[in-house]
Order: sequence, then C-alpha cells, then structure tokens
Amino acid sequence: MSELVRDVVTPSLINDAAETIDAIHHGHVDAVVIIKGAEGPQVVLLEGADESYRVLVERMSEGALTVGPDGSILYCNGRVSELTGYPAEFLVGRNISTLFEGEAPELAPDVSLETNVLRNGQKPLPVKIWARPISISDTTATLVTLTDLSIYRRAEEIAAAERFARSVLEQATNAILVLGPDGHITHASSIAENLAERPPIGRAFSEAFPLARSAADAGILGRVSEESLDQMLVTKPFHGVEVRLRSERFSKRAYLLSAGPLYNERKSSVGSIVTLTEITERKRAEEQHAMIAAELNHRVKNILTVVQSLAAQTVRSSKSLENFNSAFSGRLKALATAHDVLMQTHWTGIDLNELLTTVLAPYRSPGEERIRTSGPQILLPVDAVVPLSMAFHELTTNALKYGSLSVSDGHVDVGWQLIDIEDNLIELIWQESGGPMVERGRTAGFGTTLIDRVLTYDLDAKTEIDFDPEGLRCKVRFRVLGGPSCLHEERGPPPAHAATPLEDSRSRQFQLKR
Amino acid sequence: MTDQDGYNLRLYVAGQTPKSIAAIANLKKLCDQHLNGRYEIEIIDLMKNPALAQRHQIIAIPTLIRQLPEPLKRIIGDLSNPEKVLVGLDIQPT
Repeated sequence: MSELVRDVVTPSLINDAAETIDAIHHGHVDAVVIIKGAEGPQVVLLEGADESYRVLVERMSEGALTVGPDGSILYCNGRVSELTGYPAEFLVGRNISTLFEGEAPELAPDVSLETNVLRNGQKPLPVKIWARPISISDTTATLVTLTDLSIYRRAEEIAAAERFARSVLEQATNAILVLGPDGHITHASSIAENLAERPPIGRAFSEAFPLARSAADAGILGRVSEESLDQMLVTKPFHGVEVRLRSERFSKRAYLLSAGPLYNERKSSVGSIVTLTEITERKRAEEQHAMIAAELNHRVKNILTVVQSLAAQTVRSSKSLENFNSAFSGRLKALATAHDVLMQTHWTGIDLNELLTTVLAPYRSPGEERIRTSGPQILLPVDAVVPLSMAFHELTTNALKYGSLSVSDGHVDVGWQLIDIEDNLIELIWQESGGPMVERGRTAGFGTTLIDRVLTYDLDAKTEIDFDPEGLRCKVRFRVLGGPSCLHEERGPPPAHAATPLEDSRSRQFQLKR
Repeated sequence: MTDQDGYNLRLYVAGQTPKSIAAIANLKKLCDQHLNGRYEIEIIDLMKNPALAQRHQIIAIPTLIRQLPEPLKRIIGDLSNPEKVLVGLDIQPT
C-alpha cells in the first residue's frame, strides 16, 4: 500500500507517528515536519542533497517551473511570482499556457523561444522560455525556465547608447572630453587622445592637456592655477576661451576651450563636457583678411592719388573741356583695364604679350594688322602692370592722333627681349612707321611726359623717346623683379633688333581701328 | 459545486521534492478523471511557510487532507496508487 489512510476526526499521536514511520519506511514521503522549540514547525528533507538544489532554485534569478504532462504547474519558484505578480499558491495547479500573452508557446525540448508573460496589473513582460522534459519518480514532467528579457533589453539599450556615444566621440572633429564629478577624464574622442600629452582617461585635464603658461599664450587663464582650472571645468560653464597647449607638437596651434555641465536623467550634475576646438586656420584667415583689408585700403589710396594726378595734369595740358574729357576718360579706362587685369590674375601678374593684347583690344579692328608684337614670354610682376598699361595707352593714343596709326598705311612694331639675364633686364621698343613725318625737335606733350614719369617712378625704368622723322620710337628698359622664375620659354627668337620686329616671322599682329 | 457534492482538498508539499511534485501531478490527474470539476485543490508549500503545518498537524510530506466533504480524511504519500486514493477519499470511480 503506497498511501496510509486514516480518519483524522480523532487523531492519535501514536497512530500518527506509526503511520509516518511506515510512510517513510516505504518511501512514500520525502520530507517531514519537526517542531523545533520556539522556532515552530520546520520542514526537513529526508534526502539532504535536495536542500542545496532547492535553495539554488528558489534563489535563482530566472523563473523556474515544473510542469506536469497536462501542462499544469506543479511547482514554481519565487522568481516566477515576482515576474507574474501572483503568489505560488495561485499559480500551482494552473495550466502554464495561462501565464502567457497570446498563443501558448510550444515547450519543445531544449528550444529557446521568446514571448510575453502576463503580469498582475502590469504590462506583459518579455521573457525567454527554455524547457526540458524530466522524469520525477513515475511522473513525466517538464522543467521550464523564464528569463526576464527586459533586463537584457535594457542592458542592450544601454550598450547601444554607449556605442552610439562612443561613435560620436570617434567621429567628432573637435577634441571632446567627458569629466567625472571628481574632474578626472572618463571619455575622450579620438582627436582628444591625439592631442593629449599622455593617455587622458583617468587623469585630470591639466595633467593630460597642460596649457601654455607664458603671458602671451595663457590669455585670461594666465592667473588660474592648474588645480583651479580643473575645478572650474567641472563646476563652471564657460565658452570659447582661447588657449594654447604646452606640447611642442601643438604649440603653434590655437584652441578654444569650452566646458558645460553634464546632467543625468534626474537633472543632477554628474560631471562636465569639455571641448578643445582648433582655431588656428580661422585665426590665420582672420589675420589674412585684415592684411588684405589694409592692402586694399593702401591700393585705393594709391589709385585715388594717381587719378588725382592724372586729372590735374590732364587739365593743364588740355586746350578745351572737350579735349580734357576725351583724354581723361581714356586714361581712366586704361587705369581700369590695368586693374581688371590684376583682378583677373588674382594679383599674380600677367604675361607681357597678354597685357598688350588686353590694353590694345579696344583699338582692334577685324582685317587690319596695324600693331605687331614679338618677344619672349615674360611674366610681368604686379607692380609693372599699371605703369606699362598707362604707357601703352598713351603711346597708342599718341599714334592714333599724330603718329603712324593716324594714317591707313602706318604700323607699330612692339618688340622686347631679355638683354641681361642676370639682372633680369628687359628692353622694349615701340617703333612707329609709315605715318606722317615727325617733326624734328618736337616738344614732349603730357602723354610723353606721363610715359616718362610713370615708367621712371613706378617701374624704375629708363625711357628714351625719339621723335624720328620716320616714326616715333620709344625705348624702355626695366627689370623684372622676382628672378628667373618670371621668365618663361621664348615663343620665338627675339628680333635682332627690337626696332625691326617685322623681320620676325612669328610676330603677333594686331588690327587697329582709328 | 456545492458543499454536499464537491471535494475540497488541501495538499501539503515541500517545494519541489520528487514526492511533492508527483503528489500534485497524481492528484490533478485523478481529480480530472473522477471528479469532473467537482473539486478544489489548495496546495500548501510548507517550505515557504512551515507554520501552516500546525493546522492539520502535518508530520510527513506530502500529505493530502480532504476538508470537504466531511469527515476530514488524510492521505500520506505521493498518491501514486489511484485506487487507494479513491478509497481514501470515498470517491466512486467513473
């Protein structure tokens, strides 16, 4: 007989003891209740090895259940009660399928699956289920564990947030540091790690990034000790203080140091975010901008002086207002053209032949070849552009009014050559021919005076103007500053004499209109 | 279910010892087969609350108490012999 049955209406201690001993003897029970003094009843397992297992199961962080063949819950540990919100007494005997949201999970052996467990008065909880069939005495049962996935998912979210923050730090183009409440660096971007004197994590800011302390470099932080600075970075937000690092590697670079408090979810400060933004290029650009502004101011003043001088001298040499208007307008246009050339070449200078082409373009006319040029390629420096432009304008105007370009058969030959390589000395000859006879002893007008003056004073040139009866000749010798780099390959052999450029088959020819 | 025709059973177990688990499974199976919903089972885990043993003077575990219908009856063991349990609980097999 595997069970001892008796009427308990009139229990007898003797009978109880006998039946209990009999039950234990036949292996029908595996635990007994003993009375232990003031502590009251206590359960003693007859198989001692089960005790550690039972404690382990009761204390484990996963929910553990034993399920009968019909799906009814035979046992559940305390964690199942915590997960579901129901006491074990409520759960034991119920079908395990009633624990879950939606369709009941299939408890296949050793298969993990995820579902949601229903909770008493709360939202369902994501869990992972694992099951394995076991045999207990003569009964087949299934061991089931429930793992709370919300903890893991929260951990995954935290890990993802950490990875995200890390990637932001990795990709940041500024040096970014996270300081803990004690002022020590807890996180550093890649740029920050490169800037640091030594590995920054765990160090104070001043230790990892010692700042230059000289009066010129320290700026407004010059009077702040390193200890105070470290304290300030955690306690006081400040923005955009210019600093330099003491490190020799970065001593020539300028940075903006900023700091702001770092708050946690409860809005309390847990440290600070410190950034070092390099502003070296910005400062350089600002300095360059200031320099350009000063240069522009200087050039505008120079131009106004030139215009003022042109106006004054044109007035003196003009016989009428109409005459002044024509001459002054032409000279202003020549000046404007010269500045256009400078702007288009970004103030880097221009090839001599290109300058001639540009200055003489207004006088060109299709089908006529009135001005011919020849000479090697020479890059004129910036300072030579305005005086040569003005000189070419005056010579052309003079030729159109009185010289070879005033008649249909007249020509102008412009030739130049490098006559002293070491001294970079250029000789340019403007030779008119085929025009009206030039009067010997003709006095120089303002045009020739201007040519002489601008070339002498602005180009440091030597100018000779010869009123040859066959045609006016102007010879200019000037130096190309900047060395041989200004001299380029020759486009063709220079003429034997600049005065006879017509012999050069490669002469460039211009068509002039009257 | 009424007090006259229903069975009110209380099973005292000790955590998930083999005999306790076997007793729960055997009792449910037997009740489902022979009592057709005319029963209530209350499972008391004395590992969690040993003091509850005093009410019915539980000494060995598992122990099943038939509270209703009266008179009170007690079965000690894992209930693995259904015939003996049916006799002990005065249940007519279906």
